[in-house]
Amino acid sequence: MLMVAPALLHASLWIGLPVLAAVVLAFTKYDVLTAPQFVGLDNFRDMLDDAVFRKSIVNTVVYTFFTVPFGMLLGLLLAMALHTGLKARGIFRTAVFLPQVTATVAIALVWLWIYNPGNGLLNALLSFLGIDGPAWLSSTTWAMPSVILVGIWQGIGMKMLIYLAALQSLPRELYEAASVDGASKVRQFFSITLPLLKPATFFVLITSMISAFQSFDQIYILTDGGPANSTTMMTYEIYKSAFREFRVGYACAQSLVLFVLLMGFTLVNRRIMGGTRGHS
Amino acid sequence: MSPGRIALYITLSVISLLMVVPFVWMVITSLKSPVEIASQDAGLLPGSWQFSNYVDAFRAAPFATYARNSFIIAISHTVLNVLVASMAGYALARIRFRGSEVIFYLFIAALMIPTYTKVLPEFLIVRFMPLAGGNDILGQGGSGWLDTWWALIIPGAVTPFAVFLFRQFYLDLPVELEEAARLDGLGEFRIYARIMTPQVKPALTTVALLTFESSWNNFLWPLLVTRTDSLRVIQVGLSVFKTENGTQWHFLMAGTTLATLPMVLLFLIGQRYFVQGFATAGLK
Repeated sequence: MLMVAPALLHASLWIGLPVLAAVVLAFTKYDVLTAPQFVGLDNFRDMLDDAVFRKSIVNTVVYTFFTVPFGMLLGLLLAMALHTGLKARGIFRTAVFLPQVTATVAIALVWLWIYNPGNGLLNALLSFLGIDGPAWLSSTTWAMPSVILVGIWQGIGMKMLIYLAALQSLPRELYEAASVDGASKVRQFFSITLPLLKPATFFVLITSMISAFQSFDQIYILTDGGPANSTTMMTYEIYKSAFREFRVGYACAQSLVLFVLLMGFTLVNRRIMGGTRGHS
Repeated sequence: MSPGRIALYITLSVISLLMVVPFVWMVITSLKSPVEIASQDAGLLPGSWQFSNYVDAFRAAPFATYARNSFIIAISHTVLNVLVASMAGYALARIRFRGSEVIFYLFIAALMIPTYTKVLPEFLIVRFMPLAGGNDILGQGGSGWLDTWWALIIPGAVTPFAVFLFRQFYLDLPVELEEAARLDGLGEFRIYARIMTPQVKPALTTVALLTFESSWNNFLWPLLVTRTDSLRVIQVGLSVFKTENGTQWHFLMAGTTLATLPMVLLFLIGQRYFVQGFATAGLK
């Protein structure tokens, strides 16, 4: 018991207490300088009228909707390619995983440069093909796709790795039996591999969604939520409410909405996937 | 080689290239002169290699201080997390005591709480830390732990994820080991420190690497709790080159390369453990 005490104490102070405080503060008006004032559901009512926050919810969902499934598909395909026992798989694995260990800030700064309309890499390549590239991050049309591309690019490594680990633990006998029965590779994939990968898929889905829902660094560096709020996300709005407008109570209410949405999505996913979260 | 294999190799090479190009681009840009960076029709490689960018970047911003700060924080987090989380993981896995189940589920629940639900109140706790930074016993009056090492190190020191990972590893150890040690009359803490922990070296390495990585790469928290240059960390420090009046790309890329390098090296050295750790974390 004594050995759990330090960790438990730490978690109570830095996780338990903050969560409780967030719930309480969500029902107050609070600017840090003066004492919090109970305002009931005012913050939540304000949120309904807050067009920018509504926009940020839509953006967050759009961002998640594109980065997560596409990233998962690419991660799975890459994992399957690397599972075939290629000689150079260590190099490929390292290359794909590299963005995962790099700070999002560093990555965003490099992409900021790649997307630079005047002298960035992307438009240089496009002009090579005779195409006039847009000002990616300052165009309301292209800013979101640009941010999504970076998100997919950075997230593939982790997804690939988990799939790779899962693939390596699948029983070989099943495939041998299926081959004897004359099942094609495609058939084997859909009737054996995919069902057996269900726990891994669920895990990748949940963790990717949680991190996609909480994207902050790349928005802060790449776009500041602009142009015209076209890339603002829920976390960025929470940050703005709290640290630029000093509406801490409102920000807490916003983060509760984020939390509830995340939990909602997780439960729905779990229902759809049949609740296959295997752990002891 | 079959045509299929060749196609696979080519596809993987192209994808790997796409993953690595931004990094290569970053290093190349860090070696160009500002004039060359701004020009539209300069070649891909620098005309003259400006290694002096690195030296000048160090002069333009206190990078050595940023890097030192990041390093101190990352090392502290790594040591504290490995120590405290392994003890907790051990106790939860091997010792039966009242409430151990409940405590384990509390840690699982803590895993699922989004950072953003906690970050504001965490900031407030730091800000109103009683009797610190000129605060009175009620946390009023001063600035609390803001702009102190405490704020940078303590809140993120122990992660429920590490507790969870350690527990899984300790669970797999054989009971005989523990019983033999008990017969020898060793106390519980000695059994943990001398007998069991040496058996979970992969867990120790995994947690150490993951902790160091996320601590080194952390951005938002240090951004929120520091104001002065002397406590800025490297990820936050990078933004000094991105200003309203334009960006000093050559310095920014030199700085970014420096901030990225330790993690890439650490990853290359500890790759096996990183891979194993991420995989174990995901599938157990």
